[in-house]
Amino acid sequence: MSKENSNKVIHVKNVDVFYGNNHAIKDVTMDIEEKSVTAFIGPSGCGKSTLLRCLNRMNDEIVGCKTNGTIIWRDIDILSEEVDPVPLRRKAGMVFQKPNPFPKSIYDNIAYGSRIHGIRDKDKLDKIVEKSLMDAALFGEVGDRLEASAMSLSGGQQQRLCIARTLAIKPEIILMDEPCSALDPIATAKIEDLINTLKKKYTVVIVTHNMQQAARISDYTGFFYLGELIEFGKTKQIFENPKEELTENYMTGRFG
Amino acid sequence: MIKLWSSKSVQKENDENPFKIKFNLKENLILAFLIGSASVAILVSIAIIFTLAEGSISFFTDPLVDILEFFTGARWVPSGNNPSFGMLPLVSGTLLIAGGALLIGAPLGLAAALFLSEFASDRLRSIVKPIIEVLAGIPSIVYGFFALLIISPILRDTFEASYFNAASAIIVIAIMLLPIVISISDDAMKAVPHHLRESSLALGATKWETSTKVVMPAASSGIIASILLGLSRAIGETMVVLLAAGSIANLTLNPFDETMTMSAYIAKVATGDIPPGVAVSAGFTVGLVLFIITYIINMIAARVVIRIKTGSTVKKGKKVRFHNILNNFGSIILIFIKINSKIKNIKKYLRKSHPLTLERRYLKQKIGVNIIGGSIIITAVFLVFLLLNIISQGASGLSATFLTSFPSRFPSKAGILPVIIGSVYLMLLTLFFAAPLGVGAAIYLNEFAKDTRYTRFIRQIIQNLSGVPSIVFGLVGLTIFVRLFNFGPSLLSGSLTLTIMVLPIIIVATEEALKSVPDSFREAARGVGSTKWQTVHHHVLPNATPGILTGIILSLSRAIGETAPILFIAAVFAKTVPTSIFNGFLALPMQIFHWTTMPQEEFHILAASTIIVLLLILFSMNTIAIIIRHRAQVRRDW
Repeated sequence: MSKENSNKVIHVKNVDVFYGNNHAIKDVTMDIEEKSVTAFIGPSGCGKSTLLRCLNRMNDEIVGCKTNGTIIWRDIDILSEEVDPVPLRRKAGMVFQKPNPFPKSIYDNIAYGSRIHGIRDKDKLDKIVEKSLMDAALFGEVGDRLEASAMSLSGGQQQRLCIARTLAIKPEIILMDEPCSALDPIATAKIEDLINTLKKKYTVVIVTHNMQQAARISDYTGFFYLGELIEFGKTKQIFENPKEELTENYMTGRFG
Repeated sequence: MIKLWSSKSVQKENDENPFKIKFNLKENLILAFLIGSASVAILVSIAIIFTLAEGSISFFTDPLVDILEFFTGARWVPSGNNPSFGMLPLVSGTLLIAGGALLIGAPLGLAAALFLSEFASDRLRSIVKPIIEVLAGIPSIVYGFFALLIISPILRDTFEASYFNAASAIIVIAIMLLPIVISISDDAMKAVPHHLRESSLALGATKWETSTKVVMPAASSGIIASILLGLSRAIGETMVVLLAAGSIANLTLNPFDETMTMSAYIAKVATGDIPPGVAVSAGFTVGLVLFIITYIINMIAARVVIRIKTGSTVKKGKKVRFHNILNNFGSIILIFIKINSKIKNIKKYLRKSHPLTLERRYLKQKIGVNIIGGSIIITAVFLVFLLLNIISQGASGLSATFLTSFPSRFPSKAGILPVIIGSVYLMLLTLFFAAPLGVGAAIYLNEFAKDTRYTRFIRQIIQNLSGVPSIVFGLVGLTIFVRLFNFGPSLLSGSLTLTIMVLPIIIVATEEALKSVPDSFREAARGVGSTKWQTVHHHVLPNATPGILTGIILSLSRAIGETAPILFIAAVFAKTVPTSIFNGFLALPMQIFHWTTMPQEEFHILAASTIIVLLLILFSMNTIAIIIRHRAQVRRDW
């Protein structure tokens, strides 16, 4: 970790998060690699989702949540009070645990982000929608019924639609909060394939409950326990040769 | 390394930080409007307090008035050579009528709620619920007409009651309380978790035992709240007592005597039966007392709910005396519950001598279910009786002349064209004022407000406003809009008065609709970089619109049927239709009131015909609301 690498893009430094009196994240410091998949693992309530939600300031939406520390991205401390989370979220898109499409058509779901950021040209929007659906590996399944309601899609399709919706606003970072926990194994496999493709262009940070999933798709893994980052390193090393006893115990199923 | 980053970031922030917060004029203007709408509730409260305090001060400083006599005197004679202002007769009249109504209405309503929640099939529920909604939707002036012209004659014939009597008001107000008691208790019992019922049934309890010994105690907070809210409604009810109970302040508890309540006296100020001067400011003082009483009851209701929910005493630390008093009231009620359960234990002990057999338990269940089922039948029969009576009386008066003529001193020539027009104008203006303010306040509270002291304060105030008796709003309208703003007895004053009355209803209904929109929509929108207002505007409001519209329509139908708030403002006679918002106006409930108080029977028929017109308007508004709700439910795919 200490070895400075040129393509570490997100620098999390001494971040603490409090929900009221609950100290949810304790002094976490980590650097996240560009164009790779970083997985956060750990038992429920260990703070991994909380840290993920710091990266696009979604925690701002939670009443009573307080964040200290700095997260430097593109030379800017995104936790600073001077940073408006609205444009930030355009650059750090988020995919949620449960697929949450808007109750609108497939087309409108994807075009929404671009529309609120000022794109009105129909041809441009058509292109964005098509490209995003392609990139989210969904175009083949829904390309002929873009005006259908997003609610008519299956759970797995809805989740890929949410990914497409995120891609449409051209983010640089994609944050995924247990994106497969509500999906069946086949849909999960499709999303995992998709993540593998996405990392060529995007920096992906994913929270997962499923250790096999972390092992399959991630390049780096951080293990969290009770709000602390216990261990962080290359996925291969974390899984095969963990340095901390806690990590090893968790990996081998002795708790959690 | 660290220094390098921070120095860089400082430099960047100064010139090319793409995320730097920029001032967004549109968002800020919208937010200002929303906060302003929410703050209107504070202005309304100030207006109420100002109105009541101003009147009371001029009352107490009058040489004819003795403060001690006011609170302890037993003679209330506001006019004549020797006026006397001892309010005990008004208090006893209020207690007699509200207490009597509660004594009938609370058991009946509780029984009906228990039956609906625990024993009725879904089909039966779907029949009974609309009956209760219809009862709730009938304006109080209609109940007043019914009490004076239908119930009262029956009581006169059978019990030799006086022409005006408390009993007719008691019976009718008891029925008016049913919707409040039933709907809140039913909600409370429905909210009892299913596993509690299952665990009781699994121990071999009958359904009756489960519902009376497990469900009802678990729902006790809601049940008590429903009864308290019913009580405060009964105390504030004006039109029924004004019409049916009479205008002599008797210190009596005989229900067949003539009595006057506090609310009725205030209304007398409006109807011009009281000489100007100190007798009028006495009305404001009585209004203040009425306001304080209903306020305290509503606060206790809220406290009881909180106390039983948290299961223990309210947090110590902030020792405000007033709060302690309220807590003590709550304790007294809890003690009553405990005593009740002690009595039950003693009964149980006595019963040990002859144990409960299975047959006896089933017999108990059978009797119990029949009794509580009977309460529903009583309610339904009453509703049918009321509607049939009014239709049979009023149908003959409905004619083309009636609908197209002006009111007249000659019953055969009288019509209600300007009255309908006045009510429609009144409703449209109220819509114009109340809808943006109410929806704006609800959006602010539900979508923007953080849990600060200020927003909690506003919420508290809105809750309190919804419990203020409507006649008090009448006083406020008179003082603030008619006199202080100098709008006179005009459409503008009337609609503003109705606006402040329905505002809490619209706010609550809108918040409800906003809350039904899943948070995942908000998260998704925020996640792709929508601003707060964009999120609300694009995702929350479109999905909440049917619910909001339904709430607005229902609160307007409440406004158009209300008499007490516009009693001071609306006219009873006009030769022209209003052409400006500063003109006077006629309104349907006011016209019904006027014709009901006329001695000739022909006018009573006109009143009944007007009631039919009013009910038809209300009925069609409710139908529209139901259609909107239903279509939204069918279309909704989330």
